[in-house]
Amino acid sequence: MSFYAPFCLPFIIGAVVMFATILWKWGSWLYRLPHADKMRILRGLPTTRTLSAAWEVVRESLLHRRIFRVNPLLGYMHMSLAFGWFLLIAVGWIETVAYLGFRFVPLQGHVFFKYFATGLEHKPVFDFLMDLLLLFVLSGVALAWGKRLYSRAMGMRRTTKHVLGDRIALSALWFIFPARLVAESLTCALYGGGGFLTGSIGAWMAGHIDAGVLIYLESAAWWIYSSCLGLFFVALPFSRYMHIFTEIPLIFLRHYGLRSSEKESAYDHFQIEACSRCGICIDPCQLQSVLQINDVQSVYFLRDRRYHSLRLQTADNCLMCGRCAERCPVGIDLNTLRLNSRDTMRNVPDEKRYDYLQGVDRSSGTGKVGYFAGCMTLLTPRILLAMERIFKASGEEVWWADKEGGVCCGRPLMLSGETDSALKMIQYNTELFRKHGITTLVTSCPICLRVFREEYRLDGIEVLHHSEYLLRLMRSGRLNVTHGAERFTYHDPCELGRGSGIYDEPRAVIEAIGELLEPAETREHALCCGSSVANTAISDGQQLQLARSVAAELDATGASTIVTACPLCKKAIARGTQTEVRDLAEIVAEHLQ
Amino acid sequence: MPVHFGYTISKPRAIDIDHNNLRKSDEILREMPELQTCIGCGACTAVCTAGNLTQFNFRKVHTLVRRGEYQGAYEEMNKCMLCGKCRLVCPRGINTRGVVMLIKRKLGDF
Repeated sequence: MSFYAPFCLPFIIGAVVMFATILWKWGSWLYRLPHADKMRILRGLPTTRTLSAAWEVVRESLLHRRIFRVNPLLGYMHMSLAFGWFLLIAVGWIETVAYLGFRFVPLQGHVFFKYFATGLEHKPVFDFLMDLLLLFVLSGVALAWGKRLYSRAMGMRRTTKHVLGDRIALSALWFIFPARLVAESLTCALYGGGGFLTGSIGAWMAGHIDAGVLIYLESAAWWIYSSCLGLFFVALPFSRYMHIFTEIPLIFLRHYGLRSSEKESAYDHFQIEACSRCGICIDPCQLQSVLQINDVQSVYFLRDRRYHSLRLQTADNCLMCGRCAERCPVGIDLNTLRLNSRDTMRNVPDEKRYDYLQGVDRSSGTGKVGYFAGCMTLLTPRILLAMERIFKASGEEVWWADKEGGVCCGRPLMLSGETDSALKMIQYNTELFRKHGITTLVTSCPICLRVFREEYRLDGIEVLHHSEYLLRLMRSGRLNVTHGAERFTYHDPCELGRGSGIYDEPRAVIEAIGELLEPAETREHALCCGSSVANTAISDGQQLQLARSVAAELDATGASTIVTACPLCKKAIARGTQTEVRDLAEIVAEHLQ
Repeated sequence: MPVHFGYTISKPRAIDIDHNNLRKSDEILREMPELQTCIGCGACTAVCTAGNLTQFNFRKVHTLVRRGEYQGAYEEMNKCMLCGKCRLVCPRGINTRGVVMLIKRKLGDF
C-alpha cells in the first residue's frame, strides 16, 4: 500500500518548514537562556514539577480552562479547535494502527488516511468517531466565523485588529476543516463508507453528481485540503499561531521557576510568542474603554515587540495597572515584559548619577518602627498627620525616615525603564534603614511598598503597608476605633491589590469603622485611578477622564466617603468627584476612641 | 583682604535667542506642545524631591532649554528622580515627567 499522492506535497512541505522553524526557534531560545535559568531547568526536570506542568498543558493548551472562565462560549470555541484537532490526530493515529497494525506509516499517510484506505474493509466505529470529532471541530470553526460578525456574543466588546500575516494564517485555518469534510465526503461518494457526516454527504453526492465529475472533484478537494494545511503550517511559526507550540514549553519553564525580570532575556521569547493575540486583554484596558486609544494594549505591544517594530510611544503608553495580566488566558507576565522593553529603550547606566545622595539623611525620631511616607504622602500632608496621630495613640516609638524630605523609593524610575539608576536610590534607602536599626518598616504608599518588597534586600526588616499595620494595631488592642453608621466604599490601588495582593486588610479596617460598599469592579478587577506613575504618555486631560470614570463607579455605590489606601489614587480620584475621598489612615485617625 | 558680606556680582545672564540654535527646542516643543502653556509658577520646583536635596530646579532647566540654552541640561535633568509630584501640582496639567524624559532623550549629547 503506497502512502503517496501528488496532492500530499503542499502538506509535506508545510510540515517540514513548520517543524524545522519551531525546532530552530526553541533551540536558539533555550541556548541563549542565562546559565542560572538552564540550571533551574536541569534541576526541575526530574521532579514532580514536570508532572504538574504536563497536567497544566492538558488543562490550558488543550482544554483552555482559563478561557472558559472569561466566557464559556469563547472557551468552547477554543477548546473545540485545539482539543478537537488534537483528538482528530490522536484518534486518526489509533485508526491507522487498527487498520494496518503496528507498521510504519509516513505522516501524510495518517493525515490523509481516508484517501489511502479506500481499498480496506471499513470499521464503522472509527468512521463514526472521526466524523463526530470533525463535527466538533467544525462547530468551533462556525463559532469563529460567528465571532467575526458578533464578538459580543462571546463576551468580547472588541477583538484584535490582525496584521496581514495573521489574516492569511487565520483564513487557511478556517478552510482546513470544511475542506477536509468535502474531500472525505467525495472519497466516500466514490468508494463508499464514512460515518454519519462524511458518509451521508458522500451518499448524497453519489446520487446527484456524475461519477466522472466526482473523480475530478475528489482530486481537487484533496489538493485544496492539503494546500490549506500546507499554507497554515508555513504561516504558523511566523504568525499568532506560534502560540500553539510555544505555550507548552512556556508552561514547563514556568513550573521550573523561570521568570522575566527588568532586563530582557531569552526566556521573554517564550512569553512573547505564546501570545495568541486573542485580544482578551483589550476590553479590560481603560485606555481603550475610556480614552479610545486602540494601539497600545498588551496584544499590540507584544506583537510589535515580536516583530521588532516596537515604538517608545507604545511601550510608554500603559498604566501598568495589571488588569490585562489578570485576564490573560496564557498567564503572560505582561507588566514585566513592558518594563524590560522600557529598560532596553531607555536605560542609560551612569556611574555618577545621583552622587548627591550623600549626607542627605534628614530622618528624625528613634524607634524600631520606621515610617517611610514616600514622595506622594509628603504631598498629601493629611495622611502624614493622620499617621502621626495614630502612632501617638498607639504609643508607638517611630523613626521618621523622610518627614523632612527624603529620597524617592526608586519605583517611578524603574517603571520608566531607568533600572540601573534606580538601584542607586535602592542602595541609599537600604543603607538608611539599616543605619537606624529598624525592624519594621511601615509605608502608606503602595508604590514604595511594592519596590521595598520586590527589589530591596531588607532581610530582618518587616515591610508593612499602613493598612496591614493599622489592622495589626487594632487586632492587638493597641488602637481602638469607634464603629458608626457611615457608609464607605473602597478603591483598590493597583500596586496594593493586584501588585502586592493586599485586598482584605484595608477592608477589615474600614469594616471596623463603618459599612463597606463594594463598587461594581472590585478586588482583582478594580479599576485604575488613571494617574499611575507608570504612564508618561497620556495627558492631564486624559488622566482626568479616567479619574472621572473611576469616581463615577465608586459614587454609584451610594457611599458618603470614598476610601483608598494610596496617596496618588486619593489625589487622582478626588479630581473626578464631588464626594469626599479619604485615605485609610485619615478615617482611622478620625474615629480613634 | 576684602570684607565678604555674602553678596556676589552675578554674571550677565542675557540670553540672545537670535544666536542660540533653537532646533532642539523646537523639536521638544513639537513633541510636547503643552510645555508652552507653562506660566512659570514654580510649583514643580517647590515640591521637587530632588530639589529638596540639591539645587536642581526644573522650572529653570526647562525654561533655559526652551530658550536654546542646552549646556548642562541633560546632567541637570539626570538629578530628577521621576517621582511625579510636580505633575500633580502643575496648575497647567503639564506632563512634567514626560518633559524630563523628552529633554533627556533630545539633549543626550549636549
